[in-house]
Amino acid sequence: MHEISLVQGLFQQLQELAIDNKASKIICVTMEIGPLSGVVVDSFQFGFDILSADDELLKGAKLKIKIPPVEYSCTGCGHVETVTTGQKPEECPKCGELLLIPKGGEDLILLQVEME
Amino acid sequence: MCDTCGCPSPSDHSHDHGHDHGHSHTKTVDVHASLFAANDALARANREHFDEVGAVALNLISSPGSGKTTLLEHTIEALKGEIRIGVIEGDIETERDAERIRKKGVPVIQLTTGGACHLDAAMTHKGFHRLQKEVGGNDIDLLFIENVGNLVCPSTFDLGEHERVVFVSVPEGPDKPSKYPKAFTSSQTFVVTKTDLLPYFDFPVPEAVGDALKLNPNLRTMDLSATSGEGMDQWLNYLRELVSAMKAKTGK
Repeated sequence: MHEISLVQGLFQQLQELAIDNKASKIICVTMEIGPLSGVVVDSFQFGFDILSADDELLKGAKLKIKIPPVEYSCTGCGHVETVTTGQKPEECPKCGELLLIPKGGEDLILLQVEME
Repeated sequence: MCDTCGCPSPSDHSHDHGHDHGHSHTKTVDVHASLFAANDALARANREHFDEVGAVALNLISSPGSGKTTLLEHTIEALKGEIRIGVIEGDIETERDAERIRKKGVPVIQLTTGGACHLDAAMTHKGFHRLQKEVGGNDIDLLFIENVGNLVCPSTFDLGEHERVVFVSVPEGPDKPSKYPKAFTSSQTFVVTKTDLLPYFDFPVPEAVGDALKLNPNLRTMDLSATSGEGMDQWLNYLRELVSAMKAKTGK
């Protein structure tokens, strides 16, 4: 459950953003969670829910999660399969090769904050 | 713009009625900042620090009980007088692992995370400074950072290590690479431990290694038993190579 510590880090960043923008309430937070970031979406959501419930600035805030695409290049035929579901393809859909090299989807990014 | 409150509404609304008229001052800010950025920046600083003092840093990741500490005890014995070793032990609780290593006569400190399932760059930074204050802590060629026993969470956090080594012991079963891919895609070396137990467990080494290589074709792989000594040469030579490459780089 390293997601909890990541949410704690996020909240620190949000506190600073709120001060910079003279906001007293955060309404909505949009995150991008890469499928290869090692972050479990449900656990992140869970951490966000329990930690925001006890936080004056974030109480009731909504969390929107976007999953970025990952590009898998086939080491056999060079085909690039773009996956948007977060699921790794079992094999190359063109030639059946099993060794696919992923690109992208490794980061955890705070995209946008709506506050008042 | 309203010049009383600065909101973007037209300024014809009045502020002197004593109730909230409910217009919201909602503001949307585009941030686009990685949550890993803070840790990664600290990790880079750690790496520079390790380079400066000429120490190769290895981040050791595995499930609990894979034999990391036992392997370290044997490694320290084998490289005594040849490579100066320092150890940062990461655990949720207790000093036990550090005590085991201390008996081997090398500088060691214990980080107890108090519940956290992984080490991060900030903890490593503090830990290394503490280690440098130990006897011999200022002259280290090779730093082992033994992460909290966990194949999941530690893979996400760069500590500033030069290489990451993932361990799977024979009793755990060969399916670990497939089940915990991030630990294998983010590592440079994969070590199968406790191979003296192969006669008693169903652990086809080529299958485990093959699965790991499928995830990360650049992985260096080896298998060994610290207690029987089988395969230890490959491990020790790998460490020797890393240390001499660092010495060549820093001229120390």
